[in-house]
Parts: sequence; structure tokens; C-alpha cells
Amino acid sequence: MIIPLLKVTNLSKSYDNIVGCKNISMSLYPGEVLGIVGESGSGKTTLINCLSGNLEPDRGKIIFNINNKETDFLNISESEKRKFIRTDLAFVHQNPRDGLRLNVSAGGNIGEKLMSVGYRHYGNIRSLATKWMNKVEIDKSRIDDLPITFSGGMLQRLQIAKNLITSPNVIFMDEPTGGLDVSVQARVLDLIRSLVNELNLTVIIVSHDLAVIRLLADKMIVMKNGTVIESGLSDQVLEDPQQEYTQLLVSSVLHV
Amino acid sequence: MRKTNNVIKIKDFKVDKGLPFDQEYNFAYLDENTKKMIRRAIIKALCIPGYQVPFASREMPMPYGWGTGGVQVTASCLTKRDTLKIIDQGADDTTNAVSIRNFFKKTSNIKTTEITEKATLIQTRHRIPETPLKKKQIFVYQVPIPEPLAFLEPKVSETIKMHSLSEYGAMHVKLYEDISKNGHIETAYAYPVKTNDRYIMDPSPIPKFDNPKMNNSPAIQLFGAGREQRIYAIPPYTKVKSLDFEDYPFDPFKAEHACDICGSKNTYLDEIIVDDAGNKSFICSDTDFCNKRKNK
Repeated sequence: MIIPLLKVTNLSKSYDNIVGCKNISMSLYPGEVLGIVGESGSGKTTLINCLSGNLEPDRGKIIFNINNKETDFLNISESEKRKFIRTDLAFVHQNPRDGLRLNVSAGGNIGEKLMSVGYRHYGNIRSLATKWMNKVEIDKSRIDDLPITFSGGMLQRLQIAKNLITSPNVIFMDEPTGGLDVSVQARVLDLIRSLVNELNLTVIIVSHDLAVIRLLADKMIVMKNGTVIESGLSDQVLEDPQQEYTQLLVSSVLHV
Repeated sequence: MRKTNNVIKIKDFKVDKGLPFDQEYNFAYLDENTKKMIRRAIIKALCIPGYQVPFASREMPMPYGWGTGGVQVTASCLTKRDTLKIIDQGADDTTNAVSIRNFFKKTSNIKTTEITEKATLIQTRHRIPETPLKKKQIFVYQVPIPEPLAFLEPKVSETIKMHSLSEYGAMHVKLYEDISKNGHIETAYAYPVKTNDRYIMDPSPIPKFDNPKMNNSPAIQLFGAGREQRIYAIPPYTKVKSLDFEDYPFDPFKAEHACDICGSKNTYLDEIIVDDAGNKSFICSDTDFCNKRKNK
């Protein structure tokens, strides 16, 4: 039997009287890509923020099981938690400017995570950074340029490189292609898909774009008003939606 | 009393002697309760080398940036038996040094000196003397920005957390940037150090040439930041290591010249433009050391 990498039980988070997410239970297996869809305000971001340690949930359990080591994410000391986030998790923000240091060169941005886990050899950091620039299709001559000189799509690819360089065990992506134009979006999605296949990444991806989910996710959950209303294999959910809301969501996709 | 006329004569100002002792002030200006509070902060700082201890910094009769932190630390450590030396960029005769020395002469009537070995308490701005510090000396630094992580993380609540959890990886980003831009670590002053293998500390804007002098020093080293209300310290014989990369080791750079006055080749030099044609002269920044060497 495969043990889930991440097991969430009855997770709830509210902001005063406003429900963020309510009684969420789910599990994520190694090498799996899980999509979370739902309309604005349905609790997608609250959920992913709770799972990645950006937010403290009110109730529930989050258990990570990495290399047969169980981590009760909500009941470990802050130093352990921050270390865990640093080494085992990664977070790709919707706006790459939130995940990058804009006054630090591209190479410095990619290398920062390496330095924070103890790399102290400039040459090694630099060659790894170059390798990852290649992987995310940024010309390696741009390694010393500041991110502000990069286009939106390049920034997003730079952010992805920065996050993946330390081979984290779970990668959270919050609308990674939101705010990019369609052709750039396609390129970033293509990149994420090939990295997922090549490196066998475990990803939780939040999106309101069903095309993104269909392309990337093995499984998906549909959220509405802070709860999960439907879940399953993404093809299954998208081809044969059971809930009224999911049906509406699927039918409102524009076809050109 | 001698009758004076209204014309002020230049010779009446004897800058060297300082202002006369003014007994209206408490000894060393600060009131005793304030000194007690600051001494407590100093003791705590000495117990946790490199850790920034908050203290209730007082307003001093000088502007922030002129050494209000250093002056408060000095005032709290000063006893009537002390001999005080004040330096500014290594020199005893520059504005900041002269005015602080006069301040303590006026408020505490203690002995002052320009000779490093004779001083029991030295307050400095931006230099460590060339003459090695010794046992039973207290060395006080004036600090403008005590937080070495400030340029990476503007939130104080976050930097406190980074210190407490030893999350210092990002510190190397600055050094990385230096090497990628210039081929070597360009940071020349306020070069970050790790104290006692634990806290990363800003050594105040001393040139990195002086960094090795902090390591394993027999003197007590105290750092006071008045505006930022922080005191930190290095107790005697403590390991102080400058940050670097394995393949780009720390290099205490100095100008490739000898001093034009005393001829010293291994001291930190000031570069001085001497005429309109741009000719330069290099002289020791430590005036006391230079004078002694010249007179030998």
C-alpha cells in the first residue's frame, strides 16, 4: 500500500465570521498532481496557504509523510516548521514579484534557496543556477540581470526555477499562469508539465482555469463556499460532472 | 576674577584642553538609573555574544548619527579612574572625536589620552586601532544600523525570528551578488561576521581590514546604536568569523601603498587628494599609531 505524502483531515479556517475553508479532508500521493478549482472566494487560496504553512488553520490535521518520516505539520515547533518549509516545500506565487527578490540578480534569486540550506561554494551555486536557467528556458547570459528587466513569462519561469532547485517534496502553485497572456501561458504550462514528468514532482495547483487543470492535474477537487463539493480523477470530473456547480463551471468554458 | 571685555580672542579657545568640568551634571551626564538600565543591557549582551539587546535609548545632546549609542554605552561604563580615548575614523583630532572627548571632559572630569595603550576605555567610530587591544580595556563602537539582515528583510519582527532560528542563508545572497557583479566580494565596510558560531552581527562600519582584530580579542567590545535602541557585545576571547564562500575566502583588503608619513606597510590607509591635479597621498588613518611610528 502506498502511504499518502500529505493527508489532511477536517481542516477549517475562518476569518472572524467569514468562512475561509471548512472541514476539508484530502490526501495526496507521491508523484501526483492535484488541481484545486473553484470560483473567486471559494477558499482555494486559504486552503493552499494553510497547507504550505503561510496560514495557521483553526482546526484539523495536516500530516506529511516524507521518506517514511511522519510530520504533524500543525504540532511541530516553529523552528522545525520553518526548516520543513524551507527544505521540503516550495510555493510558486501567482505574481512572480511576490516570490522573487527584485533587487537581486536572477542567479542570486535561484541560488538563495541553495544558500539557505547550507551551500557555501560560489562556483557550485553558480553552475547549478545556470543549469536551472537552462531547464526553464532562460538564456544563461541573463544570469546577472535583475528580474525587473525580465518579461512576465520569464519572471514566472525564474520563480519556478528558484523553487525547484532544492528538489522539494511538495510544490504548491497558486494560479501560476494567471496574469500571463495566452501564448506565454501555454509556454509556462508546457514547462511545468515537462518538469512534472521529468522530475516526478508532487504538485498542488490552484487555478480557476479548467484548461490548466485538465492539462496538468491527475486528480482534482472542486470547491465552493469553503467546502469540497466534488473530487476525483480530473478527466472523470471534467467529462462527467455530478454537482450542479461543477456542471456550470464546465459548461461555462469558452470554446473558440 | 579677571575683567573681560566683549571681544572674544581666538587664544581664549583652548580646544585641546576641552571645556572646563561642569559639576552641575551628574557624573558622565546620564543619571544613575539610566546608567543602571544600560549596564543591565550590556551584561545581557555580553552573555549572548552578537545578540542585539533592546534598551531605552535616551536623547543625547547631539544628533543621531553622531554616536548617541556609543556615548550612552561609554557614559554607563565610565568610572572616575578611567582614562578615555575617543577616535573617529582612526583619528583623535577630527570633529566627532574632539566633541565627544570635550563632552566627557565637561561632564565627568576624567583623564583623556590619545595613546591607545594608556586608555582603559576607547570609543570609536569606524576603526579599530592598529595597536592591539589588551586585557581590561573596554572598546565601544558607534553603530548606525545594528541589524545585518535589514537590507534583506525590512520587517523587524521577521529579522528577530531569523536570528532566533539561525536562518542566515540569505545573508550569503549579498556576497553572491558582489562576486557576480565584481568578481570578488566588494563589501568593504560593515562586513558581516558570525559571533561565537551563533549570531550574525554587523560590526558597525569599520573597514573589513579591521574584522580579524575582533576575533579572540582580549578586550571587551561593546556596540551601541542610539537611534535603533540596540546594544550588542563581544566578550573577551570570543570567536568572530567574517562570512565568505569556500572558493572566495574573506580578504581583509587595504590600499597597496605604504603610509606617506610613517612608512608603515601593514596599516589601514586613508587616500587623500592633495591638489587640483588629482595627486594622491596615502596616510595611516590611525593618527596615534602613525605619530608614534614617525617619532621612533
